[in-house]
Amino acid sequence: MISGAAGNYFELFDIPVSYTVDLNELRQLHRELQKTVHPDRFANAGAQEKRISMQQTSLINQAYHTLCHPIERAIYLLGLRGVDFSMDNQATMDAGFLMQQMELREALSKAGDKADPLAEFDRLEKEINGSMKKLQDRFQQVFENDDLDSAKELVRKMQFLYKAGQEVAELAAAVEDEMM
Amino acid sequence: MALLQIAEPGHTTAPHEHRLAVGIDLGTTNSLVATVQSGEARTLPDESGEHLLPSVVRYHETGVEVGRAAAEHVVDDPLNTIVSVKRFMGRGISDLSLFGDKLPYTFVDPDQSAPRIHTRGGDVSATEVSAQILKTLRDRALHSLGGELTGAVITVPAYFDEAQRQATKDAARLADLNVLRLLNEPTAAAVAYGLDTGGEGLIAVYDLGGGTFDISILHLHKGVFEVLATGGDSALGGDDFDHAIAAWMLAEAGLDENPDPALVRLLMRTARETKEKLTTQHEVRVELDVDGEHWSAQLTRAHMNALIEPYVRRTLIACRRALRDAGVDKDGIIEVVMVGGSTRTPYVREQVGAFFEREPLVSIDPDRVVAIGAALQADILAGNKPGDEMLLLDVIPLSLGIETMGGLSEKLIHRNTPIPVSRAQEFTTYRDGQTAMAVHVVQGERELVSDCRSLAHFELRGFPPQVAGAARIRVTFQVDADGLLTVSARELNSGVEASVDVKPSYGLSDGEIESMLRDSMVHAEDDMKSRSLREQQVEAERVLEALDAALAADGDVLLSGQERDDIVAARNRLEAAKSVDNPVQIRTVIRMLEQTCEEFIARRMNTSIRNAMKGHSVKEYVHETNSNEELGD
Repeated sequence: MISGAAGNYFELFDIPVSYTVDLNELRQLHRELQKTVHPDRFANAGAQEKRISMQQTSLINQAYHTLCHPIERAIYLLGLRGVDFSMDNQATMDAGFLMQQMELREALSKAGDKADPLAEFDRLEKEINGSMKKLQDRFQQVFENDDLDSAKELVRKMQFLYKAGQEVAELAAAVEDEMM
Repeated sequence: MALLQIAEPGHTTAPHEHRLAVGIDLGTTNSLVATVQSGEARTLPDESGEHLLPSVVRYHETGVEVGRAAAEHVVDDPLNTIVSVKRFMGRGISDLSLFGDKLPYTFVDPDQSAPRIHTRGGDVSATEVSAQILKTLRDRALHSLGGELTGAVITVPAYFDEAQRQATKDAARLADLNVLRLLNEPTAAAVAYGLDTGGEGLIAVYDLGGGTFDISILHLHKGVFEVLATGGDSALGGDDFDHAIAAWMLAEAGLDENPDPALVRLLMRTARETKEKLTTQHEVRVELDVDGEHWSAQLTRAHMNALIEPYVRRTLIACRRALRDAGVDKDGIIEVVMVGGSTRTPYVREQVGAFFEREPLVSIDPDRVVAIGAALQADILAGNKPGDEMLLLDVIPLSLGIETMGGLSEKLIHRNTPIPVSRAQEFTTYRDGQTAMAVHVVQGERELVSDCRSLAHFELRGFPPQVAGAARIRVTFQVDADGLLTVSARELNSGVEASVDVKPSYGLSDGEIESMLRDSMVHAEDDMKSRSLREQQVEAERVLEALDAALAADGDVLLSGQERDDIVAARNRLEAAKSVDNPVQIRTVIRMLEQTCEEFIARRMNTSIRNAMKGHSVKEYVHETNSNEELGD
């Protein structure tokens, strides 16, 4: 079986358990680990070593992917505190956030009619990224204070925004396709 | 010294022995094989000095022709002469309609899996046709290098999905090639230019072939390559340039708008020659003789540029798109690598240079650059360059998902996740006493299963009967470094391993490959047996060599005296068993040794992980962070 070198993903990379992660550092550490265990290092080894190397690399990649992703990292952290996010389906969000979302949708539906739709998509993307950043900062604070309910709500908002961001990217891609 | 007790006298694997390994560019139009000799990578020619092998296979009643000899019969024997087979790799009958009515072949599809092309030599799958090309290149390598081939790195387009990669690997297996790695073509091109030894930054690989265009954005950091995004157009290439020039000739010469096939061939050939001349000249005289009438006109390079401009512009829009997908700006691009014969056209170079605002790299022959990169990587993987830090990391190009209620795809592994990667998912039963379950795996970004590519149906069987909903079946999807998927399943309450039957949606099952292997060894069962014996012996040697090195390095630190004795005893049993001529017996002894060693190998891996993190001193880390900030990474 895969016996990880450490208990959780943070320990695997030997970084503090926190929502704040230095992504440059993490990327660097990830590559260091890959250099040690990647299957290419075992191209001439026996099948067993290849398999174990692949399992370890998979674990490291999974850990890296989770910690890099702002939402998955948040859900993982909540999981370490015993919050099972997958069982949670309630969506209570404050009116202000919902209002902002509706405005965003409205702008999105009209972007195609603008003279330069791609510029409009770029603007919306920036706006979403800005809001996302604020939610992340807020999550960091409430998580440190062990306010897990607020933390959960913030994750749901992030998921909302993330979806919107993906829609912007898809619409922009569709416009680019038409230009090709 | 411990090592001396376990090393056999006259042990053949000396540390500096050079292992023969090749890189193969299995292309749509042409294929190449390259190797590293005396530190230099070069492509290998055939007996008549030609490096490019046309990817064309012609079938006779018995036997096949591959390459130029086959290519000469594309027109007069189209049904038995297979061209561009790469486009069919890992594809089903339904995909083939994408190619329109232009395909001359007769497809047969007896069992709805891999479509087969009917030829006078029998029905053949795309995998088998590709295997013929690989076999020809393997023979070329063996002929010019001599000795035994350790393995090959075979390149595939970065966007190839699982089924296409699997089909490529199956073809290698049929061609009796040990695949060290499937490598993405753009990564190979970047390696050929030695960019792995450079600093840090983004690399764009612009690959314009005869009929396909690919753009890839790679990230490079201290010898680690990551594919950030790929894009392109599978129906755009230098052939379009020829068409544009031919259309101009047709109009200028006042010829019929619907020329007959013979005239089309003449126009296309003249157009291609004109295009090639304009690579070095600024103006050429174009001449045509049609039905006894002579026509000629001047064509300037500027005029040709105007003719091909729409196609070049489309490639640049695809570049823009790839940058967006990668989430990067084009001023982050530090190098642009040119691949594919059509990048010889000066206008393409100018436009690409202008778009990325830097001079593209063109010093290596754009037809050979991918094979050369593959050879360099093969040399490293074969172990000929110990201490080389280069590591090529890949991501999965398309998301993997499973079909859920209502025909929706639930994504298990998202695209651009670094591979290898594994993901486990729990399922339960919905009927009392249920002991089997079907899982449908798809690949693609769309939500509806019908919009994604079906990869395989997995049938899990043999878990113990329980009441509905009580069983907990944990299914693990493992994607390896080549992007290939395997599935395993275990019922958690009982701990029973479920058996997994794979039915690839498009492609060959293991059983079919076995039978093709048997068929290919026409005359004797002995061939099959001797091949399998040889495979087990090679595996035994690999295991022994790796274990001896491991014991010498860490045996004293990581093992108790008893553990070590057990391992050495199992090791010596394998040493003795490997010379018997019974593959099953060797396999059994390898398994036993593996069981004894499992804990030792896991400990070693964990120790190296801890050391890697420990070795990351505070000083180095501070330095790294700073340099990243300076570069605005």
